[in-house]
Amino acid sequence: MLGEGGVGKTTLAAGYALALANAGRRVALLSIDPARRLQDALGLALDECPVRVLAVPPPGELHAALLLPEQILRRWATEGIADPVERARLLDNRLFRVLADRLATTADVIAAVRMVEWIEQDLTLTDFVVDTAPGRNGIEFLRRPRALAALLQGRLLHWLLRLGGRSPAGSGASHGPAARVLRGLASIAGFELLLELGQLVSAMEMPSRLVFERLERVLVWLHQPSTEILLVAAVREDATAGVRMLREALAEADLAPAAVVINRTLPSGVDEEIAGIADAAWPPDMRDCARYTCAYARIQARVERGVSTLAPHVIRVAASPELDGSRKLERLAELGRAIRLP
Amino acid sequence: MAQSLAPGLPRVVFVLGKGGVGRSTVAAALGLELARRGERTCVIGWTMSDPLAPWFGQPPAGLMPREVSPRLHVANYRLDDTLELYFVHHLHLPRFYRYLIRGEHVRRLIEAAPGLAEVFFVGHLWWLTTLAGEEAGLHFDRVVVDAPATGHGASLFDVPAMLSSLRATGLLGVEAERVTRMMGDPAWTGAVVVALPDELSVDETRELVPRLRAKTGRAPLAVLVNRSIANPPAAPFTPAHCGALASRLSAPTMAALQTVTEELRSRAVFESTLRAELGPLANLGVRPLREQLTMPGPSAPRDIVERVAVEVGLQLGLRSAP
Repeated sequence: MLGEGGVGKTTLAAGYALALANAGRRVALLSIDPARRLQDALGLALDECPVRVLAVPPPGELHAALLLPEQILRRWATEGIADPVERARLLDNRLFRVLADRLATTADVIAAVRMVEWIEQDLTLTDFVVDTAPGRNGIEFLRRPRALAALLQGRLLHWLLRLGGRSPAGSGASHGPAARVLRGLASIAGFELLLELGQLVSAMEMPSRLVFERLERVLVWLHQPSTEILLVAAVREDATAGVRMLREALAEADLAPAAVVINRTLPSGVDEEIAGIADAAWPPDMRDCARYTCAYARIQARVERGVSTLAPHVIRVAASPELDGSRKLERLAELGRAIRLP
Repeated sequence: MAQSLAPGLPRVVFVLGKGGVGRSTVAAALGLELARRGERTCVIGWTMSDPLAPWFGQPPAGLMPREVSPRLHVANYRLDDTLELYFVHHLHLPRFYRYLIRGEHVRRLIEAAPGLAEVFFVGHLWWLTTLAGEEAGLHFDRVVVDAPATGHGASLFDVPAMLSSLRATGLLGVEAERVTRMMGDPAWTGAVVVALPDELSVDETRELVPRLRAKTGRAPLAVLVNRSIANPPAAPFTPAHCGALASRLSAPTMAALQTVTEELRSRAVFESTLRAELGPLANLGVRPLREQLTMPGPSAPRDIVERVAVEVGLQLGLRSAP
């Protein structure tokens, strides 16, 4: 599920996963950054490790996990390194600590790789619902495998590996173009920093190859006919542009959306009816409400027209009351059922 | 320089907030308001494609600021262009840039290096407010930053701490020192936080504001609550609420009004939560920007930016109430 920030992806993804599980399927939900209310609605506190949602009646099952990039990265980094000394060296590297703390930009890669890890660990899953970083950030990983592969095979990496002391014994990088590049970089950032970068790169070599291999498998998964990509849009003036941008980004990777889901829609025709009533005819405390409803319905009509040609299906999810109060889980599942594809 | 700079604002104003809260609109509106006051202003974003210039009927902006309305300039940061600007035009090292920095391997390393793009972004802001006049003929009284939406908004304020933890020397060390000094000086930098009166945004803002105070050692200038409802329905919706109109409204319209009533009433509750919890944590407190869908008038993006500019001006004390 992809969409701009604030369109309700996380809630719809949870609702969709829940509806599938209620229909008897074994579903995994990988969710980024869900609001407290959503966790309340599911009746549990989510964590990096999958938690089973007990409210789902058998034979269905729903297992939900949070995407916590920092924790996942530390786990992967250490999983890939058998030698405890080397593992400690990586976790102590200042650059690694900076890297692990600053992963907001790579949440997409981590989501994708985490998905493959999970799918391959649990072969009985029938459905996997993933909601990831907002906007284009959610699918940047589609472009990264090539860049990452190039980096792993690049000459600079080998020079840095030598600097980090992991290269096969040999001449080192004291002569030739490698030495010149390294000296140039040292003049920008200082030799000490470069040395630590070399150590980081050499410690990360195995983990990053693992990530890279998994990322390649994600691409295979994404191109399976059973993968559905849903673009979620809100009723907002810039919604059509956002959907178009995501669609183009997908097309670059030979992918296409299965549907556009417009979240929080009102019944159609409401705008005309309200426009026919004078402002002063409303009770004073209903005037903002009436104006808002009318303007919202007009934008909705424009969004519906705008996205109609951008995917084979357009699904409208009706605006529903907040997920507070009783029947939280039922309301969430209702939202999810609305998404069912024809 | 303008006749008199708006009081209380730093040279570089960071507008922070998650995606979808209206951060870009507020950044553009603040820029427009400052430009109206006579300040030469640059609004700079960091996105794949600049959304701001098109609102003013122009193609998306690149790294070099472009004037979109009198005294209001728009720019969009890209690491590539910034590196070129820095090494070629600032340091006058064109060959160094061409052979080393632009080289494929080094480029990849720079893209992968954590936080380096942020360092150069903040360095570029410093350049815009200082040397840009001398080196590129671009004098700015004020820079408004439409900060990136995903986490990096606040992480820009990590740059000084990160740099000092790297203990870089050489050119990066010089850059680091300058950036650290700028980010630490309240006359140079300050933050305006944009929030929405809904659950997700309230949670995020509750977390962001204290974090920002801890990182910068000072309070943000203000928390602006976008899409605030001045006059929400006084009670939960019933058909009787529409008075004499009830008999004229169809069932779907009634249902829509009920949904919207609930939405607007919940916004009022979330806004008062924000005000109570975060009001004491920002210099100007928690201030409303009214929901544009309740306002009469045209709704093209530029019209909206112009209306929001008036509100931002009032709320930040840049203009007095009519």
